[in-house]
Amino acid sequence: MNPTSSLASTKPFVRPKQSVSRLAGVTAAFLAISMASTVMADENVNLGVSIPTATHGFTGGIVYWANQAKKDLEKAHPGLKITVKTAANASEQANQLQDLATVTKINSLVIFPFESASLTKPVAQVHDKGVYVTVVDRGLTDTSAQDAYISGDNTAFGKIPAEYLAKALDGKGDIVVLRGIATTLDNERMDAFNSVMKDHPDIKILDAKYGNWNRDDAFKVMQDYLTRFKHIDAVWAADDDMAVGVLKAIEQAKRKDIKIVFGGAGAKGMIKTLMDGSNPMIQANVSYSPHFIYDAIKMTAEARLKGEKLPATDIIPSLLITKESAKQFYFPDSPF
Amino acid sequence: MSIAVEFSNITKAFGPVRVLREVNLALVRGRVYGLLGENGAGKSTLMKILAGYEVPSSGELRIDGHTTSFQGPRQAEAAGIVMIHQEFNLAEDLTIAQNIFLGHEVRRHGLLDDQAMRAKTAELLKQVGLAAPPDIKIRHLIVAEKQLVEIAKALARQARLLVMDEPTATLTPGETERLFKLIGQLNAQGVTIIYISHRLDEVERITHEIVVMRDGRFVAREETRHISRRHMANLMVGRELSDLFPPKQLVALGAKHPVLRVEKLSVRGWVTEASFEVRPGEILGFAGLVGAGRTELFEGLLGLREHQAERVELDGHPMHWQSPRGAADEGLTYLSEDRKGKGLHMDFGLRENLTLMALKRYASPWLRPEAEASALRTAVQSFGIRTGSLHIRASALSGGNQQKLALAKVLHPDPRVLILDEPTRGVDVGAKRDIYFLIQKLAGEGRGIVVISSELIELIGLCHRVAVMRAGRLQTILDASHLTEEELIAHATGTN
Amino acid sequence: MPPEPTENVRPPSAGGNAAPWRRLHGAGPILGLVILCTLGTLLNHDFATFDNAMNVLTRTAFIGIIAVGMCFVIISGGIDLSVGSMAALIAGCVILLMNKLGNVGFSPVAAVGLGMLCALLIGGSCGFLHGLCITKGQIEPFIVTLGTLGIYRAYLTYFADGGALTLDNTLSDTYSPVYYASLLHIPFPVWVFIAVAAVGGVILNRTAYGRYVQAIGSNEQVARYAAVNVDRVKVLTYVLLGVCVGIATLLYVPRLGSASPTTGLLWELEAIASVIVGGTVLRGGAGSITGTVVGAILLSVIGNLLNLTNLTSVYLNAAVQGFVIIIVAFLQRRRR
Repeated sequence: MNPTSSLASTKPFVRPKQSVSRLAGVTAAFLAISMASTVMADENVNLGVSIPTATHGFTGGIVYWANQAKKDLEKAHPGLKITVKTAANASEQANQLQDLATVTKINSLVIFPFESASLTKPVAQVHDKGVYVTVVDRGLTDTSAQDAYISGDNTAFGKIPAEYLAKALDGKGDIVVLRGIATTLDNERMDAFNSVMKDHPDIKILDAKYGNWNRDDAFKVMQDYLTRFKHIDAVWAADDDMAVGVLKAIEQAKRKDIKIVFGGAGAKGMIKTLMDGSNPMIQANVSYSPHFIYDAIKMTAEARLKGEKLPATDIIPSLLITKESAKQFYFPDSPF
Repeated sequence: MSIAVEFSNITKAFGPVRVLREVNLALVRGRVYGLLGENGAGKSTLMKILAGYEVPSSGELRIDGHTTSFQGPRQAEAAGIVMIHQEFNLAEDLTIAQNIFLGHEVRRHGLLDDQAMRAKTAELLKQVGLAAPPDIKIRHLIVAEKQLVEIAKALARQARLLVMDEPTATLTPGETERLFKLIGQLNAQGVTIIYISHRLDEVERITHEIVVMRDGRFVAREETRHISRRHMANLMVGRELSDLFPPKQLVALGAKHPVLRVEKLSVRGWVTEASFEVRPGEILGFAGLVGAGRTELFEGLLGLREHQAERVELDGHPMHWQSPRGAADEGLTYLSEDRKGKGLHMDFGLRENLTLMALKRYASPWLRPEAEASALRTAVQSFGIRTGSLHIRASALSGGNQQKLALAKVLHPDPRVLILDEPTRGVDVGAKRDIYFLIQKLAGEGRGIVVISSELIELIGLCHRVAVMRAGRLQTILDASHLTEEELIAHATGTN
Repeated sequence: MPPEPTENVRPPSAGGNAAPWRRLHGAGPILGLVILCTLGTLLNHDFATFDNAMNVLTRTAFIGIIAVGMCFVIISGGIDLSVGSMAALIAGCVILLMNKLGNVGFSPVAAVGLGMLCALLIGGSCGFLHGLCITKGQIEPFIVTLGTLGIYRAYLTYFADGGALTLDNTLSDTYSPVYYASLLHIPFPVWVFIAVAAVGGVILNRTAYGRYVQAIGSNEQVARYAAVNVDRVKVLTYVLLGVCVGIATLLYVPRLGSASPTTGLLWELEAIASVIVGGTVLRGGAGSITGTVVGAILLSVIGNLLNLTNLTSVYLNAAVQGFVIIIVAFLQRRRR
């Protein structure tokens, strides 16, 4: 099996041109695993996957890709059993962890935790039972409870749009920002965005209100921004769902001053718009694809089947998506 | 140990309406007083001031010579004054024992001592003659039983002055007797008793002295043994009363069909195969002890309770309604004995109450409030409803006037058959007479009327025939020539 | 709006000294609205513009229309917690249906028209279902609608695969005037809102049915004894509310042309709050459509005002809304 080709097919957002070194690192790790694979390969792996329920396009994508991974991997590996559980909140997720450990008797776990702090203890308990734990996206507060950590890149998620907007506006202009829901994840992105903008004193951030990663709320917030600010150059909507609401509000107000609306996460619809160039305000995006759950499950499952370990930390980079590169980020079958 | 009470220049106004005007009255300790007056004369308000439920607008209340101002019924109770209301103050979802000790719970080591409270309650219930376990919820009691619980509750408070507002209105003759015995015992122990009632025969029997009020004023007081019932009634009304009951009119025997015919109606747990008929123009009475199944029989007939009937006919046509709506559409309406809980919307205005059962008449399709208002004016006049304003809630009317409004309401759809359950409960002599004449007039128009009543005098004076029920069975139907109190009691108690 | 009969009835026991207070009760929400609007004008002169007023009214329309229906249910002594989920489900079904009809060759206008009709039908049927469970099944309305709250949203999420359902472009263009068009400079949804409120007011105050609704809420036993067909009236209140949800949804769908698991989130609370803030008693018996409309507008003005200004930290927005609700409720409380 050629590990490079397998990686290219499952991690399409790793663009060869921009992250050659990154790719090389991962490839090296994978090669190391392959080479070290031993006779343990026939031992059965019972893998549990614990993720949030679909309440947003992004989590919808998470659920989709998790189930996709189950389908593909169980077919490819007869000794592998994957159980996918979704939870509506942190406490439900904690209960499901207990069930997975005691009833389903898993020996490997991939978890996308609701919150870092409140799930650290429950995960640690599972880990103490000898279960191999891969944590995705939100790290635990006590890292000893996890064997591997695979995360998205929230700093780049805020930094890339900031750099793009600063460049596109030539270091001068008025920007409004929509934030998600008050969480550490949202704060990291906002801080990264602000720290770039610090170097561009002529760019003014007019305001940053919460749109709750929700189209309807974003629509209302944007309507009110438009009433309040007579001139806006660009909007950082920070999420493709919110960008949908923002675009509708701008369209309704018939405002021509806004040059760029920058979303985020690379949702299917927005990538399509970018590819087709059907809306001049949509010029770029930044990846934060729910597809990484697929990679996390695949990496964990295949490593465990071979009795190997994953690298302790693996950050899946957020990348700038432009019209030219959009095609690689487009998955028509995914709900996100 | 009993209490002397003195009202001095007591005045009470609700907004612009003056309910009491400078009442001066002194009651000595240890006697039984009868407090008389028409509905709205101010009796209840005066007693509520005494028992701490209301504060007088001006004037003084003196208890045993000390000027007192109660800040609520608890303070009055602490002073030994307890009032039993016409409308009950019982928490429906608590048990009898919990109600009796509500706010006065017995504690042991800081926890409730249910054992002791149940035992004490059982003792009190025995004293008032209520054969119910202390653990049963108030919700499951009928009105008369609730009345007895109220009395037991007053006894538990160790009252030194007891105010009773129409205590026998819901009681059967046997229960009334037991209550009178109880009053005698309490009085012998030195308890002062103020007894409010419209039943002058009772007042005559058990009180030492009567006090009469009219239009918010104190009118007269008299030693009971020196005054006749007729004189009492005249003092209350302020004019001469002619005969209480209208002369009975003959029922047209020639009618082809009875206006209402019921064959073998049964209500599970209450009524077994009751059959009767009402002819056009006839007033059929229903007598029986509390729990005999009279109310349940008619609630079954209306579809309010599960029931089986072999045949129900109206004017010779078989009927199959399943709900009061269906019954009303066919021409049969029912006045409930429970005015507050089933009769009127207390927080609705008079107009909305009056027209509720015949609302379709005022909708074309939009409601016409002017038409409703004019119907209300007519009803207020023809039913003699006394009210200062037409724009008040039903709860602001006095008991008797509420009853007249309830009557006007069930008559509004112009029914062929009218079932009146305790139509004169808590109503004063003057209003009673009005209602009797009204019932007579309705019968005269060819309607069939059923009157359920616990007042034997009323049944005898008003009805053409009286059906007597005992333990869910219709025992007999007595016609006018056999209508005597003795005969009715004998059938109702099964001692004939 | 026709006069409200329940307002004319004076509580009998209130003495003359309480009169100044009492006069304030009915006016509580209006007073609150006036104070908020004055404050808004002082803080940001864009607040008092016609465009902003129309923005606020248009976004109030959804909640306002639902609140009118909710007003009937609450006056009759019931409650419906499922309206937000129901709206989401209806939105999803309508989009699926329209797309399907569009694909099988219906003209866009026909597809959209049929879809809109379907929205009303689904809403009415859901309401009918609630009514049956509550009257014939004798289950508490709180429980019935708490159950359907979960059921409806789960089905939408299932239909949407956790992502968003999006209306096809041509259909979206045909449908969008329903939200974005105006008549005499007033947006179409505002007209519908006015019409629904007027019809609601007439039904509540000027029809036998409206009187029955109040009678049942005031004392169900008395109503039953007074030959009111209690079950039928109750079922009808839920059907009416369902139809109102249908109307609100068919205005909502063209705004963003999509439905997602966040559609209609927490609408039930906003609708119930509008009704109660507007002076209707939660335990039923008496209420007012005018108050409900004012209550709904009041709630969205708060959000609008917070977006237009930097009064407080964005973290405290929800607190501001909470304070205003409590203060208004205090102003219009009834003494019994």
